[in-house]
Amino acid sequence: MMRIKNLLPTVARPAARDDDHPFYALQRQMNSLFDDFFSGFDAAPRALAAGGFGAFTPSVDVKESDKDFIIRAELPGVEEKDIEVTLSGDTVTIKGEKKEEKEDKGKNYYYMERSYGSFNRVIPLGAETDAGKASASFKNGVLNITVPKSQSAKARGTKVPIKAG
Amino acid sequence: MLEKDIQKTENVSAAERIRNVKTFVPRVDIYENKDSLFLLADMPGVDEKTVDIELEKNVLTITGRVENGQVKDAAMMYSEYEIGDYERVFTLSDQIDRDKIVATVKNGVLRLELPKAEEVKPKKIAIKAA
Repeated sequence: MMRIKNLLPTVARPAARDDDHPFYALQRQMNSLFDDFFSGFDAAPRALAAGGFGAFTPSVDVKESDKDFIIRAELPGVEEKDIEVTLSGDTVTIKGEKKEEKEDKGKNYYYMERSYGSFNRVIPLGAETDAGKASASFKNGVLNITVPKSQSAKARGTKVPIKAG
Repeated sequence: MLEKDIQKTENVSAAERIRNVKTFVPRVDIYENKDSLFLLADMPGVDEKTVDIELEKNVLTITGRVENGQVKDAAMMYSEYEIGDYERVFTLSDQIDRDKIVATVKNGVLRLELPKAEEVKPKKIAIKAA
């Protein structure tokens, strides 16, 4: 996918006057406006799948090493007890709910940028895992899951040395 | 690639940093009740030690530092967010009682309570029967 910014012509500019010229400040603002606007569209299918436009959906990073998969999800404001991580075969499911503070109902909002609601993300890993040895931790709104690969999946990735003939 | 923007928007206006990480604008909710203004900011990855709140004159600056926690020898399979610091600047009105600002961080959410100064709280004026 290409960022929309890449489609717009950019003005080559000397770095030194980046900040002091009002025109460049305006251009920067316009760029970020376009980025925000189009990123919203692109993201819509995932948000809709999660139960409505604008519902909370965690962002997930997945890394793979020789031995295991490392999954990291951003879940700010979610309680540990509201998160459920399940592993089956080669998929990890993260389920949970981000609850809105209840005590301040009838408040006047100035900014509403954060989102709430339940979420469900299914992450295919593409290799068999050793579910028994998976571990997860949650700290400061970031969930870390480590899932070791199964013996057969590790074996499948074995490199075959090539000899010079 | 684009999906990271759901949670994070890169802060392009932040002052240039020496640290070689991106800076993001945390998403916030700001609301008020009759006594206070409340600010909630989603800053996953920060704790009470890595958040800085600075109030200089009318300008409230929130910064959060996130250690990148790079995993060695691992290849990225897919990435929806990037790790980086947070920064956002707000301008407050004079009507905040600066000495009574309370800040807490829990599960990656910063919560700031900004009590209104006594003189601007709505007061009910009793009307006496003539």
